[in-house]
Amino acid sequence: MSKKIGVYICSCGGNISDYVDVEKVKAAIETEENVAFSKTAMFACSDASQKEMEKDIQENNLDDVIVASCSPKLHLTTFRAVTVRAGLNKFSYYHANIREQVSWAHSDDKSGATENAIHVVKAAIAKMRHAKPLDPIIIRSKKAVAVIGAGVSGMRAAIGLAKMECEVYLIERNHFIGGHTAQWEELFPSEETGRDIITRLYQELLRYKNIKLYTGARIVENSGHIGNFILKVKIDPLFVHENPDISEVEKAIAVCPVTVPDAFNFNLTERKAIYRNHPGEFPERTVVDVQHCTRCGECIKVCKSIDFSKEETSLELQVGSILFATGFDPYTPGENEFGYGQIPNVITLPQFMRLIALNDKRLIVNGKDIKKIAYIYCVGSRQPDGDLKYCSRYCCTAAIHASIRARKKYQNISNFHFTRGVRTYGKQEVYYNESLRAGDVFLQSFDHELPVVYEKENRTFVKINDILTEQKELVLEADLVVLVTSMVPRTDQSTASLFKLPKGRDNFLKEVHMKLRPVETVIDGITIAGTCQGPMNITESVSSSLSAAVKAYSYVSKGEIELEPIVASINKNICTWCNACYEACPFDAINKVDEISKSYAVINNSICKGCGMCLPVCPYDAIELITYSNREIEEMIDMLSKD
Amino acid sequence: MAFINSELTEELKKFGIFDFSACYNCGNCTAVCSLTSEDESFPRNMLRYSMLGLKDEITVSLKPWLCYYCGDCSTYCPQKAYPGELMMTLRRWLTSKYDWTGLSGLLYKSVAWNVFAFLLVAAGVIAYAVCQNFSLEAIMHAGHVFEMLAIAGVFTLILLPNIIRMWYVTTIRAGIHAPSKVYLRQLSELFVHMFTQKRTLSCDDHKLRWFEHLILVIGYLSLLFITVFLNWFETGSVLINLFGYSVSAVVFIVTFHFVLERIRKTKEISMFSRSSDWFFVIWLFLMGFSAFLVRLFIDLNLLEQNLWLYLVHLIILAQWALLIVPFGKWTHFLYRSFAMYFQRIIEDHSNLSKK
Repeated sequence: MSKKIGVYICSCGGNISDYVDVEKVKAAIETEENVAFSKTAMFACSDASQKEMEKDIQENNLDDVIVASCSPKLHLTTFRAVTVRAGLNKFSYYHANIREQVSWAHSDDKSGATENAIHVVKAAIAKMRHAKPLDPIIIRSKKAVAVIGAGVSGMRAAIGLAKMECEVYLIERNHFIGGHTAQWEELFPSEETGRDIITRLYQELLRYKNIKLYTGARIVENSGHIGNFILKVKIDPLFVHENPDISEVEKAIAVCPVTVPDAFNFNLTERKAIYRNHPGEFPERTVVDVQHCTRCGECIKVCKSIDFSKEETSLELQVGSILFATGFDPYTPGENEFGYGQIPNVITLPQFMRLIALNDKRLIVNGKDIKKIAYIYCVGSRQPDGDLKYCSRYCCTAAIHASIRARKKYQNISNFHFTRGVRTYGKQEVYYNESLRAGDVFLQSFDHELPVVYEKENRTFVKINDILTEQKELVLEADLVVLVTSMVPRTDQSTASLFKLPKGRDNFLKEVHMKLRPVETVIDGITIAGTCQGPMNITESVSSSLSAAVKAYSYVSKGEIELEPIVASINKNICTWCNACYEACPFDAINKVDEISKSYAVINNSICKGCGMCLPVCPYDAIELITYSNREIEEMIDMLSKD
Repeated sequence: MAFINSELTEELKKFGIFDFSACYNCGNCTAVCSLTSEDESFPRNMLRYSMLGLKDEITVSLKPWLCYYCGDCSTYCPQKAYPGELMMTLRRWLTSKYDWTGLSGLLYKSVAWNVFAFLLVAAGVIAYAVCQNFSLEAIMHAGHVFEMLAIAGVFTLILLPNIIRMWYVTTIRAGIHAPSKVYLRQLSELFVHMFTQKRTLSCDDHKLRWFEHLILVIGYLSLLFITVFLNWFETGSVLINLFGYSVSAVVFIVTFHFVLERIRKTKEISMFSRSSDWFFVIWLFLMGFSAFLVRLFIDLNLLEQNLWLYLVHLIILAQWALLIVPFGKWTHFLYRSFAMYFQRIIEDHSNLSKK
């Protein structure tokens, strides 16, 4: 029995009919084979028209429907819903675009536009002759989420997910959780310390039995897909027992002959190769820095709780979704960038923040009492050339906040801010105002004329052409120069690469749509949160992590997920497994099947995104893309190219 | 190249009540100023110099004197940083820099020093009166001689050297070596501005302020001329006498209005009063008023019995001549007009060098 196709030509209130003669289009297509019904409409998308369409489908027993109107981006779902309401499969609908691609594009040539529209609609009819009803792919989804990275974002997301009664695996690469937040003292805008925030989150975390925390853990393998990711995790051994004798541990730390710069204090201080957590880092325990430990055995002599025989363990986790919260690295200035690394009293903002934490009554650097502090902004941000073109958002406020804290904590501090324009956006403006009122001086330079830091007779100077003072060349003798450094993407992106997560031009992980899908990635089932996505302050990181948690939960909450059936399919009789499609697939959706007689490729429908990359590389034409089969496309092309 | 010097900022604060920290560099003050020009823009840059403590830049600048304090910048300042008051502060600071004795700075910064100096002068006058056994004739004669000596002495020892210092820092040290014909050509500017304060007319506020100031200058100079050169208190001429009455009345009526405005604080210009401002207007008022009374008492033959009145007048006069004129706000009268003169010389010279 031949198909019955209904065709609607929309005027779009003149948007189409002013240039395309819709009646002529209708007349031209109504005689086409399989067209059982055709109609023009002023606004096909109007409620009245939609109802009429439903009636028409049922009365005429239509099998397929085409609406020639606007872009499918606008109303594809609208009309698919109409066909579904009328009792048809939603893939029985096709949307022909005669507005953006015809009437608007050819408004200068009315008869040409009409011809063009006729071709487009005829091509759509040609396609629909071969269309088959399709059902969505339904896959099972495990109600468990892996959260990668246990900084403030990861911890908050884990708690959010746990509250929704979802199994959570919180995976942290380091031995301690808390991320950079644990390193900070008082923070804007709540004046709570980072330590307090992490302590609070950690205690809350412990209350949830459905959160499993893995520290010193790395994901080394990933297989599977949305609903069913299978992760292989390797966990570093802890050489110190969980509840050791503290006095023995202290002895062990004392006798350890290896000292290394302490990254927690940004190398301002040193620690031993065996060390305890800083306050604010959790769990509270003693660990061995495997990288630097020489296994000299001195510690074992004084402490019974140390055992070097323990080995790396590994485990496999099965989760329905993955939430990335892997954070950022603070920018390290280049050698001699504003004197960094050359002049001893040039430090970075994170170092300065630790310095304030470490110095109680007086601010002393290299034995010198600090009075005048110069802050140089946008170090590693807003660079005219290179990768660091973006604004790091947090730094203006963080620098001003730190300068206010220094002024309050120590006596006779004068702050001089060498800015490129202050961006203390939103409510953070009050900090700018507070620092102004306290007497801080703000200077400003252009990006092509940055301040210069130099040393002369053991004194440090900062020179600027201040655009707020008639571009006069001004010099400040500073006791301390603080480089307000940016947030940069993690140097180690191995985990993100394992999941083939796309990166933006700035090398941070990239969302699908900045405004509308801000925490999803193009890899189904994987969301991103916090500073792995771009510079954010803690407030912003936490709101993104909560939104990622909800999104991740939506993938696993029902226990199953519906996917679009538009995927590739391989004819195993033709396929010879030449490897070409496997190489071309950007999503690892193609697997090899070995049978006794032959090997061939199969598509994993849960991973395939229907991108079509595999089709042209197949030497035997064994691959078809469902709804875009060779036959459908070829007949459309034939129709479009007819005179 | 200039060095940022926060110590100077602290020093400047002692000369005024300007809130340095309020300014966020928007530039509204310069935008609304009716006296600023593209070549000579202010007050924003002077604010920046002050915030940054750029001592040389402020010292060589004539801009504080080119501002006539209409107060628009303070009215329209979104941060209430009072740029107008900053310019006033800088005038005080510059006065102390020009003054070779250093006494100006002392009197501007400290009320205690002011009180001490005023009491000292008063004590001197009383001591002299005691020495003369309170003889009215002797004291009046001495008063007249004192006036002439004070004018000559203050001018040659204090004001002239200070003007020369001002000229040196604002022109020679700024690298302006204008030929003498330029100095001659612009000389008229000096007198026009000194006696008329013509520049105030370009200010946006109403013209009453300019008019009051003009008649006060005329009244004050006339009073000075009459008492010193025509010996008003001992003259028999009815014409001079009537003229004396009227000019002294002008002085105390106008200054009375000024004092009233400073009390009311309704305008930007009278909102902030430092001791130097109060001393200036009050003593000018007292001078006019006491001179008026002295002559009235003479005419009513009451002065013989009321010697105290003349003594009070003499104390006020001595304090005025020895403290306010050389070291106080009176000098602004000179520096403003000389600043206009030097400014014209600098402009004329730069035009010449361009050609």
